[in-house]
Amino acid sequence: MPTVTFLPGYRKVSVPEGTSLLDAARAAGLAMNVVCGGQGKCGKCLVFVKTGSVSFDRDKFRKFFSDPEIARGACLACQTTVTGDVQVDVPEGSLIQEQKILVEIQGLEEIPLNPAVRKYEVYLSPPSLDDTTPDLTRLLEGVEGVGGPPPNRVYAPLGVLRYLPQVLRRSDWHVTATVALVPGGYRLSNVDDGDTTGRLYGAAVDLGTTTIVVYLWSLVDGRILSTASNYNRQISCGEDILSRVNFSRKGGLARLQQLAAESINEALKKAADAAGVDLEEIFEVMVAGNTVMTHLFLGIDPGYMIAEPYIPVVQRMLSTAARRVGIATHENTGIYTFPAVSNFIGGDVIADILATGMTEREEVTLLIDIGTNFEVVLGNRDWMLSCSGAAGPALEGGEVLFGMRANPGAIESVRIDPETLTPTYTTINGVAPRGICGSGLIDLLAELLRACVIDRTGGINLEIDHPRIRRGRYAPEFVVAWKEETPIGKDIVITENDIKNLVMSKAAIHGACMTLLDAAGLAPRDIERVCLTGAFGNYINKENAITVGLIPEVPLERVENIGNGAITGANIALVNRKRRKELDGLARRITYIELNADPSFMDRYTSSCFLPHTDLSLFPRVQQMLEACRLREGVGSRQG
Amino acid sequence: MSENSPDKLAIREVRLGATRAEGGTREVSYVIGGDRGLPFCGNDAGRRLVALEICDDPAIWPPVVRNYVGDLVNNPEDWAQAAERRYGADLVRLNFTSTKKRGFNAFADIASTTERVLEATTRPLIIEGSNDPQVDSEVFRRCGEAGEGERLLLGTAEADRYRSVAAAALAYGHLVIAQSPIDVNLAKQLNILLRETGVPEDRIVIDPYTGALGYGFEYSYSVMERIRLAAIAGDDDLAMPMISAPTDTLSIREVREAAPEEQDAMAVAWEFYTAYSAFVAGASVVCVRHPLTVERLKKVLEA
Repeated sequence: MPTVTFLPGYRKVSVPEGTSLLDAARAAGLAMNVVCGGQGKCGKCLVFVKTGSVSFDRDKFRKFFSDPEIARGACLACQTTVTGDVQVDVPEGSLIQEQKILVEIQGLEEIPLNPAVRKYEVYLSPPSLDDTTPDLTRLLEGVEGVGGPPPNRVYAPLGVLRYLPQVLRRSDWHVTATVALVPGGYRLSNVDDGDTTGRLYGAAVDLGTTTIVVYLWSLVDGRILSTASNYNRQISCGEDILSRVNFSRKGGLARLQQLAAESINEALKKAADAAGVDLEEIFEVMVAGNTVMTHLFLGIDPGYMIAEPYIPVVQRMLSTAARRVGIATHENTGIYTFPAVSNFIGGDVIADILATGMTEREEVTLLIDIGTNFEVVLGNRDWMLSCSGAAGPALEGGEVLFGMRANPGAIESVRIDPETLTPTYTTINGVAPRGICGSGLIDLLAELLRACVIDRTGGINLEIDHPRIRRGRYAPEFVVAWKEETPIGKDIVITENDIKNLVMSKAAIHGACMTLLDAAGLAPRDIERVCLTGAFGNYINKENAITVGLIPEVPLERVENIGNGAITGANIALVNRKRRKELDGLARRITYIELNADPSFMDRYTSSCFLPHTDLSLFPRVQQMLEACRLREGVGSRQG
Repeated sequence: MSENSPDKLAIREVRLGATRAEGGTREVSYVIGGDRGLPFCGNDAGRRLVALEICDDPAIWPPVVRNYVGDLVNNPEDWAQAAERRYGADLVRLNFTSTKKRGFNAFADIASTTERVLEATTRPLIIEGSNDPQVDSEVFRRCGEAGEGERLLLGTAEADRYRSVAAAALAYGHLVIAQSPIDVNLAKQLNILLRETGVPEDRIVIDPYTGALGYGFEYSYSVMERIRLAAIAGDDDLAMPMISAPTDTLSIREVREAAPEEQDAMAVAWEFYTAYSAFVAGASVVCVRHPLTVERLKKVLEA
């Protein structure tokens, strides 16, 4: 079998002829960037074949490479097959890198600690010939005596019964029972020697398509002990939801289930180590994930969601034991997954809703969760409407020439001097820029509009005589960072095509917001609060989001970035069993509006494909601001 | 900008062409628009004009027209003169088909043809220039300059290439045709873009794009109706008169494959019903290519 050597780390792997370099890289333990899931569509898995023999149709993918890259032997790892021994150089940019992950603690003072799992310390009287009550009954009666549930409502797993007699006798009948509230009753999760009531832990998990975030809680006193996050290892099977479902359909379900569990375990281990907690003492894990991720994590086939008539296997909240899904906590740990409204409004959105507190309020909240897909929920404590759609990959850096995820070196915020057109930017981790992430792209859009470099359709005005404005290889472009400022040896630009992709993305989101408002008979001014969340939504500059018409115009102080809503919601459901119990009812109460089936959506979308909107009266303050900018720039005179 | 007086015009008035008194050389100028409601409902004010379209390079012109007008196709000024005097068109639309050729660079001819056609006609002139960003700015500059002061109706501005047309219109005092692909929102967007480039609102005429009858005309019709209704409801950015140029009408299968002796009749019938429907939908100016269509339309409009 040919040997593939990956530089610069000299990782070697032997693979059969015909294996793709992408699969070889996976086998060598390298996590490559495959935004498109290995279809040769994104160009992100660039590698250089130094020596050796491969098969790759370079002409077909020519558009992804610069001339110097071609000279170095550029290939796309996913489209290149091994035909003999080969040495491959993997540039840093082609590997998945450390990502900025939302880890923050939101004040939950107002949520009373009322967990579904409790510990009961009991001193039992030893059995005798006069008292022949069996061990289990003896224990459960003791538990009831200190405030626990009636014995006949408690289910005892076989595993516990197998060690129960030894523990009771070894401890001289002084034990701590862990009892969890489960659907239909209670479960005796564990029995410990002596008093362990001071150590009862739970974890909230945001199971994202890209990242996993874990919060570790002490359920005794309601404190957050530690947090941890890492990548979802399923990324190696495809970056987006659809490519994961396809991987699952091709026999990959078990693998995806295992990777989801491993990813959660990794984060749990990090959090537990940081807090000095034994994983065996974690007795509850609350998981918020979208509908597909929840299916995959539970090992349930998600395949029927992507083909007509598009239905999930399950929507309600599920609970299972840790050992059934490979979570490395106590084997009887209760694992709970959030319910879903539809394929597209999943548990992560229910968690967002919980995080906004909109279920408790009279005033109307508009919740917008933006990642690769977006979900919008409008409502208050009496009613709720929701819809979802594809925001397109533009906001996460896909289909944008220099777009990238929020990795180190991504330009995350930009200002442009309207006089000199010189941009000032900040990058993630403050290192030299390699590309632009979503929040930077929205800033650019707003700033270019204010500086009158682009018109309201996003067209770049080539008649402005300025070195940063030029006709690029594919389209007119604006130079954000000169080659000399970057470590990638190229000017970082935003092209007119990029801008138009962004406009379409923002139009889909704004169109969705307007669809829900119209369905509710409301206008933007009736929205008391706009909550932004999601991988992209949370970092976005609120003012610029309004300027470009991504969200409806409301007074700026009504817009909040609520942080990672999914983890906040999971935290709430973990520490308060009443809130958790309401989730199924909440999910059923939310009306889902199918945008594709709503003929007026297309109209709303087209009218939103303008900066900020075709109906300028929906954006009075933005309109005023832009008029002022146009006067300042003397646009008429600059037209040449 | 908006007035609430009951006398407010739903559709803005736009003056095409300029007489000597108005700074041009035309014998007449036309005011279109000025309507207060839906067309043919008794409250129209503006005129309905029939334009005959001619071109400077007949290579891509419909054979049925070439056969009918004969040698005129090789001489735009004679063709233009015939359009006015013989065929009875209200005005001429001069289509610079020569610019659609690859590598076009005969810019001087654009200016001289414009001048000669203006010379040969007495009425306002519509000019359809190039549609290639590489040559647009020079083409529109040349014809704009050649017709300075004549209030030409210059086309065609589209959302992704409107700056050259707008610049020529602003520099030399002309009007702009704003064409969008059969969508009320896109029509409005282009008008906003033009306004923000400095083109006054009374120098914009909307072209909603018109398909031939049976070939998508119903979409054009409903969009024209929506544009008109939006204007009546007070949307200033859509309160412009409309021009309709169902130019594909003579290239459809029914006309191409008609028996030789029926070709003219078929062409005229198809063009007539399309054009008349466009008037009903709210167009102020309709452009046709077959001379006999002009005659038929005029007859009905004057009836």
